[in-house]
Amino acid sequence: MIQPVAMQDFFITFFSSALIILAGASYALLFAWSKVNENFRIKIASYVSYIVLIIAVVLLTRAANFTGYWLSLSVVMVVGYFFAPIGIWHLCVKTHVETSTTLEEKL
Amino acid sequence: MNAKELCGVANAKLDAFVTWTALDRSNLSDGRKLAVNYFIVAVILFFAQLLFGMIAATQFIFPNFLYGFLDFSVNRMVHINAMVVWMLYGFIGCTYWLLEDESQTEIVGLKFGKLAFWVLTIAVAIVVLVYLFIQIGAGNDTTLWLINEGREYIEAPRWADIGIVAVVLTFFYNVVATFSKGKWSGIAGVLTLDLVALAGLYLAGMFYMTNITHEQFWWWWVIHLWVEATWEVLVGVIMAWSLMKLLGVRRKIVTTWLYIEVALMFGSGILGLGHHYFWIGTPEYWLTIGGFFSALEPIPLVAMVVHAVYDSGSHAFKNGNHPALAWVIAHAFGNFFGAGVWGFMHTLPQINLYTHGTQWSASHGHLAFFGAYATINIAFFYLAIQHWRGDVWMSGNAQNAWRWKWALGLLNVGVVGMTIALLIAGYEQSFIERAVEGSTWSGYFTAQNHPSFQSAMVWRWFFGLMTFAGLILLIWDLLTIGKGETRKMAIVVAERGAGCVSFLSECDHTH
Amino acid sequence: MNEENPLWASESFWKKVAIWVTAGSFLILVVLTFDSLSQTEVGGKRVQAYSVINKKIDYVYKEDLHKFMPVIGETELLFGKEFTEEEAEKLVTLGKKTTQAKNCMNCHTLLGNGAYFAPDLTKAWLDKGWLSKELREDLMIKFLLDPENNARTFGSNRKMPNLHITPEEAKGVVAFLKWMSSIDTNGFPYNFKTIYATEE
Ligand code: HEM
Ligand code: HEM
Ligand SMILES: [Fe+2]
Repeated sequence: MIQPVAMQDFFITFFSSALIILAGASYALLFAWSKVNENFRIKIASYVSYIVLIIAVVLLTRAANFTGYWLSLSVVMVVGYFFAPIGIWHLCVKTHVETSTTLEEKL
Repeated sequence: MNAKELCGVANAKLDAFVTWTALDRSNLSDGRKLAVNYFIVAVILFFAQLLFGMIAATQFIFPNFLYGFLDFSVNRMVHINAMVVWMLYGFIGCTYWLLEDESQTEIVGLKFGKLAFWVLTIAVAIVVLVYLFIQIGAGNDTTLWLINEGREYIEAPRWADIGIVAVVLTFFYNVVATFSKGKWSGIAGVLTLDLVALAGLYLAGMFYMTNITHEQFWWWWVIHLWVEATWEVLVGVIMAWSLMKLLGVRRKIVTTWLYIEVALMFGSGILGLGHHYFWIGTPEYWLTIGGFFSALEPIPLVAMVVHAVYDSGSHAFKNGNHPALAWVIAHAFGNFFGAGVWGFMHTLPQINLYTHGTQWSASHGHLAFFGAYATINIAFFYLAIQHWRGDVWMSGNAQNAWRWKWALGLLNVGVVGMTIALLIAGYEQSFIERAVEGSTWSGYFTAQNHPSFQSAMVWRWFFGLMTFAGLILLIWDLLTIGKGETRKMAIVVAERGAGCVSFLSECDHTH
Repeated sequence: MNEENPLWASESFWKKVAIWVTAGSFLILVVLTFDSLSQTEVGGKRVQAYSVINKKIDYVYKEDLHKFMPVIGETELLFGKEFTEEEAEKLVTLGKKTTQAKNCMNCHTLLGNGAYFAPDLTKAWLDKGWLSKELREDLMIKFLLDPENNARTFGSNRKMPNLHITPEEAKGVVAFLKWMSSIDTNGFPYNFKTIYATEE
């Protein structure tokens, strides 16, 4: 069961939804970048992105009137979007490990 | 002048045109000759798509324009049907393009493939002519069989549906037989299974049902499970193959990532179908399922972007075809914004209750279809043309590079501009028509007549014109790029000295 | 550079994951599809029997559910005739086929899906634009037969074109619209006030 967004919350709903995806992507990219380039500021920037994401999730949770089991969607977004970029990064690294040196494999 | 003379003149003109393009088919293998046939029809249909889109957009501003002659419904139908069909042509073309290279053998059943191409093309031409000149019929099965099924995106009459299925079976035969004769690979396997799913889904949209809830239930199987599942994976296959060729990424890596993409894409997209089952009469549990799974749908898109950036960073980032690379980058962004960001903004039922069936959907539809699927096809058109010209130089300081750059700019700015205009219109419509007025007919028109809506439609028209201009420039560029170029394509060498991994060159066959 | 890539980053692992995830999701979808199709069978709770065209259809707001729910009321005949279930099905089918043959969906939305050039048809039967329940049938038929001259464009200048609908087809379309307006659409469109609500 849902409780529809109230009229005055339309803008905040669209805005926070977009922000969740944008902040999530920005966190993912900055996180990956900070691993390639051991720069403290990039690391900070990536966590700032993540904080923005949390704020956006909170805004959306209120605007879209999440109650009951819908709250678990907020939790999934906060937790999932924290770990997904880390997982993606490790996958990038580990899948690129050289495992074989035959020419055949390289093509 | 009689008909015969007219034919003669037309033929001579066509010959002169072909001579002018100076494209040499002998540069292409048999499979690729067939691929470029598909690409040519795709571009023509792309042109038709935008032409009729412009007419429909004009009718939003001047409702009497062509009223009673080419009504909005007809123009819109041609607009979206031409889109679906040109993109499918593009995908079939891409598949034929990589088939021989990936299987390392010559295409099997070429004769049938060629025949299928002509059958399909003639069928498409007849369907379009019937759309334009007969348009509608009586409310009976004959109309649904011969004229039009009246179901958005898959309007093609049933005879054409059956023809399409026959052609697709032939296409499968080419693909499967060629891989079986040559060699299978992870990419080949995913490609084949995905094509089976894509074609199988089409069957779900072929039946008449009076129960409109059931009808729309199955209709969304086709539309949603195409664009948010099987088409995405097909693009994944095409990208995987291109990454190997373009950046020299190792096969093992691209195959692993292809599997990762399949898992994430199907894992979120299949049940994401629920976001279309909120309001069509289906049970309430879809609100939850649709909301949750579509919240996951952006994850594969983010994963793809991160991985693409990682790959391009860890490999020698030189490439032999700048326009194609630029369009691949446009694809990555377009897919992320159009599907990921725009999709998520209106996907939760709490807000979709208001945005459903408004210009909001059109805003998302334009950015997503263009960003995800037009871009990747255009990238492939550039690869094809380069090869067709005999692997000429298409990197830095190529002749007339302004054309592809301007075409890229006009098309992208045009579509983004339309998307923003439609977003404003959709916002206003969901607010006034849906929320304030409770979606009555008078509420609908109150929203349509609102000044912000009206001016959004004018802005959409101008940005549409920009898009259209971009397409015309793109076509001109495709016809002329590399003409008279004597330098050969830059050779890309993979970072670990894997040797001769040049982009779309034949040299990988020599190992 | 010769360390092995771990199992969770290996090709074979992800191949299996891809297969299982796809098969699993698809299986769930198939199960849900069976359930949804049976719950939305004509004559069930969510999608009414075709003979609902003999009845008054209205909506009431359910506070606890935050949405309007359909209520099927007393007899309210269409075209002054009581249809049997078979007759009703036949008429609604004619109407549905006509909406497809005339390509309604490429200007209008039905259940919110389609084009955005003309108003949604989901609850068109209940729209207060038809002035009163006595005038409604006649107005609808007249409009369908000659939309050009009976257009009420609400100041938009947009007129529906003449689609050469026959009188019989027009009746079918009206029956189809009446039947469709009784489908329980989980509260879409939001806050919709029916012709009865405004009459009272
Ligand atoms: C490349 C991928 C995608 C394409 C090409 C695409 C295209 C479209 C189009 C054309 C429509 C309008 C359908 C109609 O005519 O009624 C639509 C509707 C919709 N899309 Fe997408 N889409 C994509 C991805 C996504 C994603 C990832 C999401 C969610 C995160 C999403 C959410 C929706 C929703 C909720 C609707 C229904 C709008 C309504 O209620 O009217 N889409 N999509
Ligand atoms: C010249 C540029 C274009 C113009 C003027 C244009 C105009 C239009 C118009 C007027 C509609 C009907 C919307 C409605 O029902 O209210 C439409 C629908 C649509 N167009 Fe375009 N269009 C253009 C380019 C494109 C492009 C480049 C694409 C994608 C590659 C595209 C994809 C679509 C889709 C998917 C729909 C259906 C949307 C929905 O039902 O939600 N169009 N377009
Ligand atoms: Fe979808």
